[in-house]
Amino acid sequence: MTKSLMRANNLTAVYAADSGQDVPAVDNVTLELPEGQILGLAGESGCGKTTLGTALAMIANPPLYVVAGTLEIDGNEINLSTLPKNANQVHRPYRGETVSLLPQGAMNAISPTLRIRDLVVDVMRAHNGSVTKADALDRASDRLKMLEMPTRVLDSYAHQLSGGMKQRMVTVISTLLNPALLIADEPTSALDVSSQKALIEMLLAMVEAKIMRGVIFITHDLPVLSMVTDRLAIMYAGKVVETGRTEDLVNNARHPYTAALLSSVLDPTEDTRTKHVLGIPGSPPNLGNPPSGCRFHPRCKFAMDVCSTTEPKMLSEGDHDFACWWAKEHPRETIPMEVTHA
Amino acid sequence: MGLRRYLASKTGWYLGALVVAVVLNFLLPRLIPGNPVDVIVSGLGQGGLSSEAQRQIYEQFMKEFGLDQPMWNQFVTYITSIFQGNLGKSFAFYPTPVTDLIAQSLPFTLVLQIPAILLGWIIGNVLGAVAAYKGGAWDKSVFTTSLVFNSMPYYCLSIILLYVLAVMLGWFPPGGAYSLGNSPEWSMAFFTDALQYWWLPFISLLLINIGGQAVGMRSMAIYELGSDYVNYSRSLGIGDAKMTTYIFRNAMLPQITGLALSIGTMVGGALITELVFSYPGMGTLLFNAIAANDYPVVQAVTLIITVAVLVANYMVEVLYGFIDPRIRASKSGEK
Amino acid sequence: MTNISSNAVTAEAEGPLVPTDPTPGPKAKAKPAWMNLNFGPRLWVSLGIIVVIALLAFVGPLLYPYGPDEKVGSLYDAPSAAHWLGTENFGYDVVAVLMASTRNSLINGLLAGTLATVIGVGIGVVAGYIGGWLEELLMGITNIVLAIPSIVILILISMSLQSTDIPFFKGIVGLALVIGITSWPWTARAVRAQASSVSTREHIDVAKLSGARTPGILIRDVLPYLASYVVMAWVLQLASAILAESTLSMLGLGPSGTNSLGMQLHWALAFQSVATGAWWAFLPPTIVLTLISFGLLYLQSSLDEVFNPRLRRGKKKNLAAAAKRREEAARKLEEEMKAPAGVTEVIV
Repeated sequence: MTKSLMRANNLTAVYAADSGQDVPAVDNVTLELPEGQILGLAGESGCGKTTLGTALAMIANPPLYVVAGTLEIDGNEINLSTLPKNANQVHRPYRGETVSLLPQGAMNAISPTLRIRDLVVDVMRAHNGSVTKADALDRASDRLKMLEMPTRVLDSYAHQLSGGMKQRMVTVISTLLNPALLIADEPTSALDVSSQKALIEMLLAMVEAKIMRGVIFITHDLPVLSMVTDRLAIMYAGKVVETGRTEDLVNNARHPYTAALLSSVLDPTEDTRTKHVLGIPGSPPNLGNPPSGCRFHPRCKFAMDVCSTTEPKMLSEGDHDFACWWAKEHPRETIPMEVTHA
Repeated sequence: MGLRRYLASKTGWYLGALVVAVVLNFLLPRLIPGNPVDVIVSGLGQGGLSSEAQRQIYEQFMKEFGLDQPMWNQFVTYITSIFQGNLGKSFAFYPTPVTDLIAQSLPFTLVLQIPAILLGWIIGNVLGAVAAYKGGAWDKSVFTTSLVFNSMPYYCLSIILLYVLAVMLGWFPPGGAYSLGNSPEWSMAFFTDALQYWWLPFISLLLINIGGQAVGMRSMAIYELGSDYVNYSRSLGIGDAKMTTYIFRNAMLPQITGLALSIGTMVGGALITELVFSYPGMGTLLFNAIAANDYPVVQAVTLIITVAVLVANYMVEVLYGFIDPRIRASKSGEK
Repeated sequence: MTNISSNAVTAEAEGPLVPTDPTPGPKAKAKPAWMNLNFGPRLWVSLGIIVVIALLAFVGPLLYPYGPDEKVGSLYDAPSAAHWLGTENFGYDVVAVLMASTRNSLINGLLAGTLATVIGVGIGVVAGYIGGWLEELLMGITNIVLAIPSIVILILISMSLQSTDIPFFKGIVGLALVIGITSWPWTARAVRAQASSVSTREHIDVAKLSGARTPGILIRDVLPYLASYVVMAWVLQLASAILAESTLSMLGLGPSGTNSLGMQLHWALAFQSVATGAWWAFLPPTIVLTLISFGLLYLQSSLDEVFNPRLRRGKKKNLAAAAKRREEAARKLEEEMKAPAGVTEVIV
C-alpha cells in the first residue's frame, strides 16, 4: 500500500431520537485512504454511509452527534467528536480546506439569493481574510477555464443554471481550496446520464491534476463505483464489513454481504440502476436494536452458530480487510455466491 | 402565466374587492330601518328641543345629506364626492367637513405607528434571527417573551403599561397627546411637550410589533437553517456570521411582505391603543363618532382603513410579480 | 401533516434510518395511534390555562355568593374580605362580573369560532375537492372578503344592528353570529389547499370506483385527513372571535345590557379606573383576556408540534439524559481505544 493520505479511527456517530434513545448510525468504524486514490463507500440505504461522510466532513449537526473518532490527515490529528462545546470552532478551519464535501443533489446547495461569485469570494475569505475579491474571482475563473467551463456562470444565481451545470459548479467550489480530501456524497444520483458522465470525467481530471489528493465517493450506483474507484469499503448496519482494492472485492469478495451486493448489481446484462439487492433476502436491521453477533447473520446464507453470538473482528489478508466468521474458517476462499436474478 | 396577465388578474381582484368594500361601506348604514338622521334627531329630542325645531333640523339634514334621494342617486353622489376628496360633513360637528376631522386625527396616528412599525420590524427581525441561530437559552427566552407579546391582545399590554409606567411610577403622563392649554402647532415647545405624551403609546405598539416580527422571523430562520445551502456553506468552512447573512437574506423576502402588510394596517391597527391612552388619533375619532352616531365620520374612517389595507396588499402582490417569477407561477395557481 | 410518527429520524437524507418493521409485534399493534403522539409540556400548560378559565366562568358563579347584577357598593370600592376585588363603576362585585363576563366571552368565542370554522371548512372542502368553476367562484368570494379588513365589516354591521330594535342582534349571540359570518375566509382558503391535495390521493380514487357519492366521500374520506388541521384552525378562530368581541366592545359596539370581557374593559376605561388607580376594575379582565389569548395560541402551536413532529426541537429532558449518556459512551470508547487489544487480527 502506498503512503496513507487519511485515516479515520474508531468513528462512532449517533442520531438522538426524540424519545431520548440514541441510534448509532456509524458504529466504531475505521477507514483508510492512500494518497491519490478514490475510495468508494457502498451499502444499502440507511447503512450509515452518508452519516459517515457527514462526520468526516465535520459538519455533524443535531440530532446527529459524533460521539468518538479521530481523523489523521495531512499531518493533523483531528478529534471528530461534536460533543465538546467548541467543536464548531475547532473544525471550521479544516472544513473546505482540508476536508471538503460535494453534497448529495446540489440543487439547493447554493443560497437562492446569492450570486455564485459571492459564494466563491466568501469561501476564499473564510480561510484567508486578506484575499481580495479580484484574486478570489481570478482563481475561480482560472479553475473554470482549466476545466473547460464557461466563466460567465460566476455571475449567475443558482436557479439560472441547469442541474448538471449546477452540480459541476458546486464541485468547483468544493475543490476551490485544493482540499486534501473530497467527500463526494451521491454527486451523480440526481443527474441525467450525460451529466453524470461529464461530472465523473471532471472529478477524474481533478484527481489527475492533483487538485485534491483523495476522494471518498459515496453512492448507490455500484457500476459507477467499480469504474471510478481504486478501493471499496462496504458498509452494513453502521459498520464497515469489508474493505480493499476494488478489483479484489469485485473478484474475490470475502464477506457474504459484499458478495451478494456486488454480484446482484454488477451483472451487466441487467438494468442495474433500477435493480435492488436481489441476492439478499430480508431487509436491513433496525439500528436502534441491531442483531447480536454479526449484524448480517439473520440474512446470511453462511451463518454459523458463532455468528449470532459473537461479533467478528476485522481480519486482514494483505491489503484486504473483512469481518466474517465464515471467511476466517475458509482462508483465501471467494464467497461461493451464485448470481440470482429476479 | 406571463407578468402582464398576472398583473391584470391581480388588478382585477383588488378592484373587485375595492368595489365590494365601497358598496358595503355605503350600503350597510343605509340598510337599517329608518335612517341615521332619525337617530340623531331623536337624540336631539331627548335634549329638550321642540318637535317643530326637530322637524326642521330633520328636513335640513335629509336634504343636506341627500337622504331624501333614491338609493341609486345617493350612491352616485357618494362615489363622485369620494373621487373629489369630499367625505361629507360630520353630523356631530355639523357643518365641519369630515376631511377636516381626519386631517386633525390622522397625523397623530401616523406619528405613533410609522416609527413603531419600522423600528419594531427591524428589532424583531434581528431578535428572531439570533434566537433561531443561537438556539438554547437565547431562543427560549426570546421566543417565549415574543410569544407572550405576540399573543397578548395589543390593548391589554397598553392598559398594563399605562397603569404601571404612568399611574404607578409616574414616569409618563397618563394620557392625551399634549398638555392642557397647549394646541398642535409647528413649534419646538409643542414638540417637546408632545414627545412626553408620545413615548408610552409608542412603546406599547413597538413591543407588540417586535413580538410579532420576532416570532415570524424565528420560524422562517429555523426553516432556512435546515436547508441544504446552510449545510453546504458549513462544509466549506464559512463562518457563522457570514452564514447568518445568507439566512437573513432568504428569510427576509416574506418578512418584507410582512412589513408592507403592517404598513397597510397602520390606520386600523392601533385603534384601541389610542383609546386607552386618550391619544387623539383615528381610533379616538372613530370611538367618538360611534358614540355620537356620526355616520359620515365612521364611514370615512372605515373607508380609509380599507383602502390602506387593499393598496398595501396590492403593492405586495405586484412587487412579488416583478421580483420572483417562481412565486408568480405558483401564486397564479392559488387563486 | 400526514406524518404523525414521533420517532421518525429526519436527518438521514437517503431514507428512513430505522426501517419500519414489516411485521409489528403485538405490543406495537395494541397501542392506539394517539398514544404515539408526543404531548409535550407546552400542551399541558396551555390546556391547564384554558381549563382554569373555563372553571372560573362556568363553575365559579355557582360557588360565589354575589351575582353580577347585585349592587353591593358604590363606584370603585377597594377590595375587601367580602368583595375580593372590590366593586366596579356601577357598584357591582368585580369577581361576579368577571365570571359572568368570562362566561359570555367564552360562549361568544365558541359560537363565533365554531360557526366560522364550519363555514370555512365547508367552503374550503367543497372548493378543494370538487374544483372547476365552483372552486373559482368560491375562492373568488373568499379572496374578496379576505382582502377587506374584517374589523371594518364588523364595525359597519354592528353599528347598523345597534340602531335596530331587535334585542337578539344586540346581545351576545347576535354579536357571535356577526363575528362568525365575517371571519371564515382564511380558514376556507387554508382548508381548500389541504383538501385539494388530499383529493388526489389513491384512497379517494378507490372510494370513487366503489361507487361512493360525493357527500359521502367528503365526510368519510376527505374530512378525516383534515381533522388535525381543522382542530388547529378552530382553536385560532376561538381566540380571534374572543378578541374581536372585546375590540368591538371597547369601541362602544359591544353587546348591550350584558357582560363580556370587552364590555367590562369598556366601562373601566370610560369611568377612568386606570387614571384613578382602581386596578381591581381593569386588571382582572385584562389578565383573563391575555390568558385566554395566550392559552389558545399556545395550544395551537403545541398542537402543531404534536401533529407535525418536524417542528419540534426535541424534548429537553430526554435530550439532556441522552447527552449525558453520550459523554459517558465517548469516554468509554476512548479508553477502549487506548487499550492495547488489537482490533485487527492478521491471518496471513
